[in-house]
Amino acid sequence: MTQPLSSKDLVEAEEWAQRLGIPDFQDRAKQLLAAQEQNNRVRELLELSTIYGLRLFEQTGLDNVGVGGEQQRVEMYEHVIRGVEGMRVLGHVQSFDYKYFNKAVAESKIHRKHPIYLQEFLDVKKNANGQLKVPITGPYTLVDWSFSGHYSGGRTSLSLKKQKQEAKREFLLDFVQQVIRPEIRDLVDAGAEWIQIDEPAITTHPEPADMDLFVEGWNETVRGFNCKFSDHTCYPSEIGYKVLAQYAPKLDKCTHLALEFANRDGTGLGVDAKHREGYRDLEYFLQNGYDGEFGVGVVHVHDFSGHVPPGSGKEAGRNILESPELVRDRLLYAAKVVGDPAKIWANPDCGLRTRTWDVTFAKLISTVKGAELAREASR
Amino acid sequence: MSPKAQLGGIYPRSEQLIDLTRSYDRAKIDLDTVKKQIELETLELVTLQDDSGFETFSDGAFAWQDQLRPVVESLEGVTTGTRYDRWFDTNTFYKKPTIAGKIGVHTFEPKNFVRTDLLARTKGWKVTLPGPYTFSELSENLHYANQSDLLSAVAVAEHDIIKRLKDAGVSRFQLSEPCLVYRPYREQELSKAELDNALTALRKTVDGIPAKFSVQTYFGDATTILPDLLKLPVDTIGIDLFETDYSKLKIETTKKLALGIIDGRESNAENPTWIAETATRISKHIVGGDVVLVPNSDLKFVPRKVADVKARALAEATRLFEER
Repeated sequence: MTQPLSSKDLVEAEEWAQRLGIPDFQDRAKQLLAAQEQNNRVRELLELSTIYGLRLFEQTGLDNVGVGGEQQRVEMYEHVIRGVEGMRVLGHVQSFDYKYFNKAVAESKIHRKHPIYLQEFLDVKKNANGQLKVPITGPYTLVDWSFSGHYSGGRTSLSLKKQKQEAKREFLLDFVQQVIRPEIRDLVDAGAEWIQIDEPAITTHPEPADMDLFVEGWNETVRGFNCKFSDHTCYPSEIGYKVLAQYAPKLDKCTHLALEFANRDGTGLGVDAKHREGYRDLEYFLQNGYDGEFGVGVVHVHDFSGHVPPGSGKEAGRNILESPELVRDRLLYAAKVVGDPAKIWANPDCGLRTRTWDVTFAKLISTVKGAELAREASR
Repeated sequence: MSPKAQLGGIYPRSEQLIDLTRSYDRAKIDLDTVKKQIELETLELVTLQDDSGFETFSDGAFAWQDQLRPVVESLEGVTTGTRYDRWFDTNTFYKKPTIAGKIGVHTFEPKNFVRTDLLARTKGWKVTLPGPYTFSELSENLHYANQSDLLSAVAVAEHDIIKRLKDAGVSRFQLSEPCLVYRPYREQELSKAELDNALTALRKTVDGIPAKFSVQTYFGDATTILPDLLKLPVDTIGIDLFETDYSKLKIETTKKLALGIIDGRESNAENPTWIAETATRISKHIVGGDVVLVPNSDLKFVPRKVADVKARALAEATRLFEER
């Protein structure tokens, strides 16, 4: 926000405004530049960014435009942490390669400083033309990615391992009560009908104690709210989704699971298990009695350097641009496993924030066209 | 007992280095600028270890993108595609190696493993590598008939790498074997046959190389396999005290036990007095052997400032321990 806009940025913004049909771009840009107060300028910029995200999603033909690509968020962790009293950001740690996240510690008992997602939702609601889904970062993940600090679990009587487990529970239940439930209350009161709780951390702790804790935190989070809830989880450890599948039926009101699969799948066309190895974990959810919908990751969101056979798409720099046919085959296989095409949604594996807008646009177009092809093939 | 302290594995990059790597990633600066900062930070870490009285020099592996990458990039028959997998239960990822052909060392550049050009000769140099069992478990095997054959091939290749690193001046090697103790991702407990295979591979990896070796377990409880690990032809066995229930341990050994006593996954700076007291308490379970104080894992999971505080506390604790 503090970086000045370059002339290149402005040219790019204008080009995308034309591409996306944002007719009042010039007026908004002038208004933004004329804003005297820094806070007003930031507010204008955030709303304009949201409009860009929404129009991008709408132009690709997506059935659900989310919140327009979370344009108002730093990223999924820090965005929340900065709104929580008692948390202090300590510094960056590596996520992978040259990607990092800013990690925080609980220095005292936590509580929400101010609404975190509400203004974004109000902006989206005002400007969107499609169905909305509000992704929020789940309490288990926020706790797991933070240092527990103040939440010590009683230092002396238990083993070091048990102390850590106790600390995590105290921290989690406070996060649910003090931050996440007030947030959901605000969103539901403002008209949110579908909230996606992002919990990528849960598949990293497949031990029963942690899974039980996750379920306890989830059920407390959604208790009493009249709203559709879904879970998004991605990039599990070696165990895949096997353990999550055992616990998914215990998640109250969780009627939809959005999961990453394309990352682990082959790139050849085909609707058999051999070609669609990446999607096999879907079976576990069925075996364990989960009967909700699936948001199936059909496009990769990270760098790609493998082989792309003819018909499956093409490589573009560090990206794979999946063809609609590859997306179609992934969806058809998923529908075959789940046994009901109506329960399958087509999604990117995760957020596309590390891709350029050109690449994002192309991937979402393929997602939409692939879904159309899958619907035709299922008729 | 006169415990020493050691660092090992990947040390966190500073905020400045992080900024530079991000700029490089966005094609805003060249790689040389990043490399210069890495050299600077390596020297800083060497100074920290020297000033604090650490037993060995670890170079911090600031250029390593993950715990497996330099090994992967030295081997033929092993590739990495685009698949990133989670590093155990952390929020960090590694590029999953794919075993696509017969494994062998094809290109070897010591500098990719350790900055020998920046380490003083006043202490021994320590390099941390993934143990053969962990490397094979975290790889996708498309070539060998079974895991056992893959494990054996990895051991031979790592033996070759270690020999060359020894020739380059490295005197101590840590072989990290979290997969021996972190089991939630496996349906069965570690079987006797599988453990035997892993131990055989570890023997093969170190066989005949005149260097010091430690086998470090972390992220899981080492209690049940500790007696077997202590029979390995290495001088040090490491355990993660934040996962291992040591209350019932009684260890008779002539080896050193590396106590993973500062938590690389929590930001709390362990108090040197607490570290020394805990180490003293645990040392009463050990008959005959000595202890080494180490972090329970790489310190890359905490920000740099936190790691520096923890490292100094570790060294200070060895002095307090000796005074007790």
